[in-house]
Amino acid sequence: MTRLADTAVPEETLAQARAGDQAARAAIYAALAPATFALIRRMVGQRALAEDIFQDTMMMLYERLPQFRREAPLGAWLRQIAISRCLMYLRSPWRRARLCLEGVELHAAEDEACLVTPAYRGDSIDVERALASLGPTARAVVWMYEVEGYSHQEIAREFGRSVSFSKSQLARAHVRLRAWFAPQEDRPSCNLI
Amino acid sequence: MQPDLDQPGSLARVLRELPAAGAPPYPFAEFQRRARERTRPSRSLAGGRWLAAAAVGALAVVALSLRLHPHASVREPPLGDTAPLARAASPAPHAEIMERWLASLPREPGVVHVGTHQAVTGLEDRIAQVDDLLSAAGTQRQPPPQFVALQQERTRLIGALVQVRYAETLADESR
Repeated sequence: MTRLADTAVPEETLAQARAGDQAARAAIYAALAPATFALIRRMVGQRALAEDIFQDTMMMLYERLPQFRREAPLGAWLRQIAISRCLMYLRSPWRRARLCLEGVELHAAEDEACLVTPAYRGDSIDVERALASLGPTARAVVWMYEVEGYSHQEIAREFGRSVSFSKSQLARAHVRLRAWFAPQEDRPSCNLI
Repeated sequence: MQPDLDQPGSLARVLRELPAAGAPPYPFAEFQRRARERTRPSRSLAGGRWLAAAAVGALAVVALSLRLHPHASVREPPLGDTAPLARAASPAPHAEIMERWLASLPREPGVVHVGTHQAVTGLEDRIAQVDDLLSAAGTQRQPPPQFVALQQERTRLIGALVQVRYAETLADESR
């Protein structure tokens, strides 16, 4: 399946969508919404939050469509909007306050909610579970670095943190994931790193 | 079969093999409905800006007075003298302004963010608890000495709620 960043939309559809044609906008939605939502869920975890951010992201896409310069596929542009919305949430004081107030219960709920494609079967379901066992920040860093191809410098800039923050998050996530996949009787519990 | 993450690049490969997309969260028609809902209330709030500013101003006055006279109104009244309690039972004017502004807001903001929503419901729950305690205290012939403190706590909670809802209103209108 084509990744979000590689998803392009025909020029004619784009022009019609810019002019406000609802059928063209629906076609763009059909092409981009599934991958956008999957990306957002992998970044933030909880479904309700992901829906909030997804709605923001898609609304912003249509609002800013006239500014799209076609230097990259539309999916790559949308990916940038989605990631920046996710990071705004991860950096927000509201989220930090919620983590302080709600503690471990929230994390457990997030872990449960993180199976982005629960219907999918095979080895990937284990990888999904392993990924879900990471905290939202570590998961976002892993996803941005390993899958979306961001450098440590870019991740640090997006999070407003240092390069070593990105490197240490990634290193700790690797340790955590290795432990998850290590053959052992007592698999580590779903605590956050 | 478990992936061998010790090999360089193996984690990236394993993660990239995950399905890139599942189902969209909802169809386009639902997206449009939610988009309309998010943009509608901000227009209806335009007239409430002055009231919002007044509420925030009142909040600033409360904060300043609490800072300058932290223990002034928590003093216990002398036994048998219920006049201060009666005075405390009627909400202060700034609290009335804040409550009037809160009542003028739609039940849900234009954009419902889960974090903010939880903060709002948490504060509303606590205000309801204080209201319960206040009404229980009000039914007694001799209101307890905590009555004034409860009133103050309620004003403080309302102030916090005003701050959160005001921030929500500004976020809505900046959209």
